[in-house]
Amino acid sequence: MGKEILEVKNLTIQYRTDLETVYAVNGISFSLKEGETLGLVGETGAGKTTAALGIMGLLPERTAVIPKGEVKFDGKDLLKLSEQEMQKIRGSKMSMIFQDPMTALNPVLPVGKQIGEALYLHNEENLTNSQIEEKVEETLELVGIPKERKVEYPYQFSGGMRQRVVIAIALICNPGLLIADEPTTALDVTIQAQILTMICNLQRKYGTSVIMITHDLGVVAETCDKVAIMYAGEVVEYGTLRDIFTGDRHHPYTEGLFGSIPSLTGDSRRLHPIEGLMPDPTKKPEGCWFAPRCGKCTEKCKKQVPPVYEKDGHQIRCHLFDEQDTEEVQ
Amino acid sequence: MNRKKEKRNAQIKEFWRRYKKNKAAVTGLVILCVIVGIAIFADLIIPYSKCVEQVGADRLQWPSAAHWFGTDEFGRDLFARVIHGARYSLFIGVVTSLIALAVGAVLGASAGYFGGVVDNVICRIIDVFMCVPPILLSLAVVAALGTSMRNLIIAITISCIPGNVRLIRSVVLTVAEQDYVEVARSYGASNARIIFRYVLPNAMGPIIVNTTMAISDMILSAAGLSFIGMGIQPPSPEWGALLSAAQTYIFTSPYLLAFPGIFIVLSSLSFNLVGDGLTDALDPKLKD
Repeated sequence: MGKEILEVKNLTIQYRTDLETVYAVNGISFSLKEGETLGLVGETGAGKTTAALGIMGLLPERTAVIPKGEVKFDGKDLLKLSEQEMQKIRGSKMSMIFQDPMTALNPVLPVGKQIGEALYLHNEENLTNSQIEEKVEETLELVGIPKERKVEYPYQFSGGMRQRVVIAIALICNPGLLIADEPTTALDVTIQAQILTMICNLQRKYGTSVIMITHDLGVVAETCDKVAIMYAGEVVEYGTLRDIFTGDRHHPYTEGLFGSIPSLTGDSRRLHPIEGLMPDPTKKPEGCWFAPRCGKCTEKCKKQVPPVYEKDGHQIRCHLFDEQDTEEVQ
Repeated sequence: MNRKKEKRNAQIKEFWRRYKKNKAAVTGLVILCVIVGIAIFADLIIPYSKCVEQVGADRLQWPSAAHWFGTDEFGRDLFARVIHGARYSLFIGVVTSLIALAVGAVLGASAGYFGGVVDNVICRIIDVFMCVPPILLSLAVVAALGTSMRNLIIAITISCIPGNVRLIRSVVLTVAEQDYVEVARSYGASNARIIFRYVLPNAMGPIIVNTTMAISDMILSAAGLSFIGMGIQPPSPEWGALLSAAQTYIFTSPYLLAFPGIFIVLSSLSFNLVGDGLTDALDPKLKD
């Protein structure tokens, strides 16, 4: 594994309106090396997508603010770049796959044109139009669509095929970082497997780093090297795939997540959800965000914000671990 | 390439299939083609000299084989004047609508796409213009600038712009929310590129319909202004001006009013019918 390509430090994102402030992302940190895949896991509303948009610089200008934090990409702090500089980076050095392929394509442009757009906009090698066309055909074949179909319009494609087109759009410039925002949520399970395998193969081929945003732990197990579990805008647990899936110490929320997966072998008849709902993101609690739903909640949890405890790179944000042989970071 | 062509053809076929379901729209299209044909081939139908040729002996003649629509108080052939008048009306209608469309597209798209301060400034200015009735606004402009073809065009274009801006802004507002706009941003497209390549093409349906309808309105406004003497001046054979001159003879020679009137109504109606047809044919929600 190569050098660090992305380092997010203490990234905080809030949506501010006249009426209220939504604490969407509260100081998340993680890092990513070249060719690695990081899984960003959490419930709906945990701030996964907001974090991704923050990294891409695509947050809605009028409401979103980033009061603190740092997003180092290729040695540059993205949060300090101007919009023009970001435009140069977006598409060429990092790109994003969106959740819903049914709406992510422009209905009035043939797919070949849409795939070529990014290359046309970031034409650093001064390719001629016919060279761009060639590259478009090559990329289409790469994602498993016959190149003759480049003149067709999005409505002529099925959902799975469209997602392939979306992936082709994201990959044509060989970006160093690919953010996949729930790329398979809108697809059925058979297509889901195909698409994931394809992303993994392409990643191996080009050495792309991937942030895989998902709420599906199965997807994480299959694709990721590192995992960050998010809850209410915080990373509550962060570690390697092995730490999260086979390690013996976990944040209670992670345990809850795994507990909610229905077992194939046991004969339990009911699902085991985590009781309760996500806290209101407009009201910052005094203590731990997860305290109201936590089975192991203590008095301390309700009053004091838990620090992050680390052991061998496996980080957990929970009071339960402060007596043990871990060291506090941050 | 061939394949591309086929696809285009298939789209046009599909569009035509839905368009021709609406019989009124087809009628409108036929009338429109005839009027456009008249405007283009006016010189072949009857030479322009007939419009200005004054024959003292033939004053205020009722329609006959020699003068199909009769003659006016100077003995000019009304048929020639009405035929050549089609050029004025269509020219003014189309040109003003296109200018208003261009201005409306730029202002409306910026307001809808950028929002915030830009939106506020543009909308408040538009609100001010909206407060004044369009015909009054045109009148004021002509009164200030003086009467001429150019000023008439400016006047009715200005009265048409506010509605266009509002419409285009509202369509752009919905299109700009779409995921594919976000996708375009995610691969580094600039705002201008997004507006012209993603937002406006997707907002085209309502805009085309609105422009067609606007042409009909513009023809009426131009005729109206010419009628009250603020537009194109006699002896130019503009339909509104013809009506205006004919007022005096309404009881003795009503045909002088009838023929230009019929043409004004037909041209305006045909654009309206075509606009209606386009609404149905272009609306994806009505696709069966």
